[in-house]
Amino acid sequence: MSFFASKNTKFRTQGLKFDSVGFVTGFLLLTLLPVLVQSNNYILQVFTHALLLANLALAWNILGVSGSISLGHAAFFGAGAYCSAVLSLEYGFSSWFTIPLAGLLAAGLGLIMDLICLRLRGAYFALATLAFVEIPRVITDNWDELTHGSLGLVGVPGLPSLSLGTWSVDFGSSITASYYFVFAYSLVLLGLVRFLFNSNLGLAFQAIREEEIAAEAVGIPANRYRLLSLLLSAYFTGVTGACYAHLVRYIEPGLVYGLHFSAIPMIFAICGGRFTILGPAMAALIIYPLNQFVFHPLLPAGHEFLYGVVLILTVLFLPAGFWGSLRKVS
Amino acid sequence: MWTTAVVSGISLGSFYILMALGFALIFGVTRNFNLAHGELVVFAGYVSYWLWKVFAWPFVLTFPVAILATLLICLGLQRLFARLCEPLELNSIVLSFGLAILIQNSMLFWFSGDYRLIRIPTLSRGLRLPGFYLSYGQLTLLFLSLTVIAILYILMYRTYLGKALRATIQDKEAAAQAGINVAVMGTLAFCLGAILIGLAGPLYGCIHYLYPSTGHQITLLAITITIFAGVGRLGGIILAGWILGLAESFAVILYGSSWREMVAAVLLLALLAFKPRGILGKGEQ
Repeated sequence: MSFFASKNTKFRTQGLKFDSVGFVTGFLLLTLLPVLVQSNNYILQVFTHALLLANLALAWNILGVSGSISLGHAAFFGAGAYCSAVLSLEYGFSSWFTIPLAGLLAAGLGLIMDLICLRLRGAYFALATLAFVEIPRVITDNWDELTHGSLGLVGVPGLPSLSLGTWSVDFGSSITASYYFVFAYSLVLLGLVRFLFNSNLGLAFQAIREEEIAAEAVGIPANRYRLLSLLLSAYFTGVTGACYAHLVRYIEPGLVYGLHFSAIPMIFAICGGRFTILGPAMAALIIYPLNQFVFHPLLPAGHEFLYGVVLILTVLFLPAGFWGSLRKVS
Repeated sequence: MWTTAVVSGISLGSFYILMALGFALIFGVTRNFNLAHGELVVFAGYVSYWLWKVFAWPFVLTFPVAILATLLICLGLQRLFARLCEPLELNSIVLSFGLAILIQNSMLFWFSGDYRLIRIPTLSRGLRLPGFYLSYGQLTLLFLSLTVIAILYILMYRTYLGKALRATIQDKEAAAQAGINVAVMGTLAFCLGAILIGLAGPLYGCIHYLYPSTGHQITLLAITITIFAGVGRLGGIILAGWILGLAESFAVILYGSSWREMVAAVLLLALLAFKPRGILGKGEQ
């Protein structure tokens, strides 16, 4: 471990660079968005959802940066959504408490997944994650007393409220408030991802991705670090799932464990650029609104074909993702 | 009750074999995991349903059209897969995942999300044998699947072409060294796979409701059977299909039909965790 404990700047600069121009532009636009669109509820709703998906993509990429491709993040998303929804709806806990707890449950699932997939790499890991989603989904579907099965949960309490002295804000009260809640969470997550990817830990993740045997040789315990990246990724996916449950206030197994929530984070992360910090979030904020504003009105059924097309084009022509390729040129 | 479960398990399992063969063949020869496999099966089913319902074609005549349509799509897919770079298996998973979403949404657009069933009255009638009931549908599945398996067996193990295909499955480089055109073998695998998918799709439409998102379950079944068997083992695929069919039909009796969907997933995870090279596969990494 002494290698990575050293504060050698030569190695530090090898970390993923953070694109401040893209970040500042995005930050300003998103902060001013409610003013710019004059609190148009539909546009705000779409961008709230886009930010949520950006969080999913960022969380997915914590695992992605260490080289594993997961096709089963809906397992964590759905488990998080159900955990927070059941606890706050049936047992009346505050969502300040249930949202982090949902992340812990998702991380627990991540631990189980790691135990199963310990020896698997690459394609076989991806296939295992694809099958893994079925387990929490079928259990949720059949645990009628707790989850009401396939009927789903209706009337999940809204996002929590915050009061500091005399000043208080209820994040569930209006769409603008919800928007800022999710935006704040995105900023926190982005900050964490940036810190993580530039820390020794992040460097170790990338070393594992590039050459596992060499990484082991310089003293990185690859299995333990891969587990850590999976747990972190699962935790934040679970938290995002919980936010989704409180935001949409209706969940059902087929929805939150659906292929959609497994596919979306992977597609955005790969299209944005798996080896960048900002790319996955940028892809979510561009592709999702594009789909909702342009393709959804044109093709009410089947508008998600855009995600498939974007993914195919990226894999074939821009393996580094569009943000990654942009960075390479400049 | 148990006899009925065994009979329906075996007949379902035989059909699973038919559905998985195309996937296994394409994977074996080209090392491409085609996650759009289930979507293609559903697509073939939709083609058949459409001709049968809208144009009132006899059901048997819809098979050639379904096969032809799948063949065209698969040849297109093969062009896409051929452009992939290493690591081939992982990249093919990501690419075909995108294709699956694309095909699924196109079907949602063309055929809507309604549940469709190709209702052939004769198939639901059957024979009441002592102790259990055997429907003509089950009999047809069993007969057709076994015939296709037999034909494929003869092709793979009794012809020169089959020898070349098996050589490509075993070792691509060595096969190329021996003068086998590996690219042609890849195209051939996609064609054979497409024919198998085109056969399975309409049959699937007879026994299951067709809707765009059901393809995911089929893909999972095909992956499970292929991994179970190990690469390029026809015998293993037959065994795997029957075991899966029996396991599902027992799970339905013991725990109810809502747990059925978990059987394939648990089986696949257990296989990957303990025997990633297949039950019959050799131990080498």
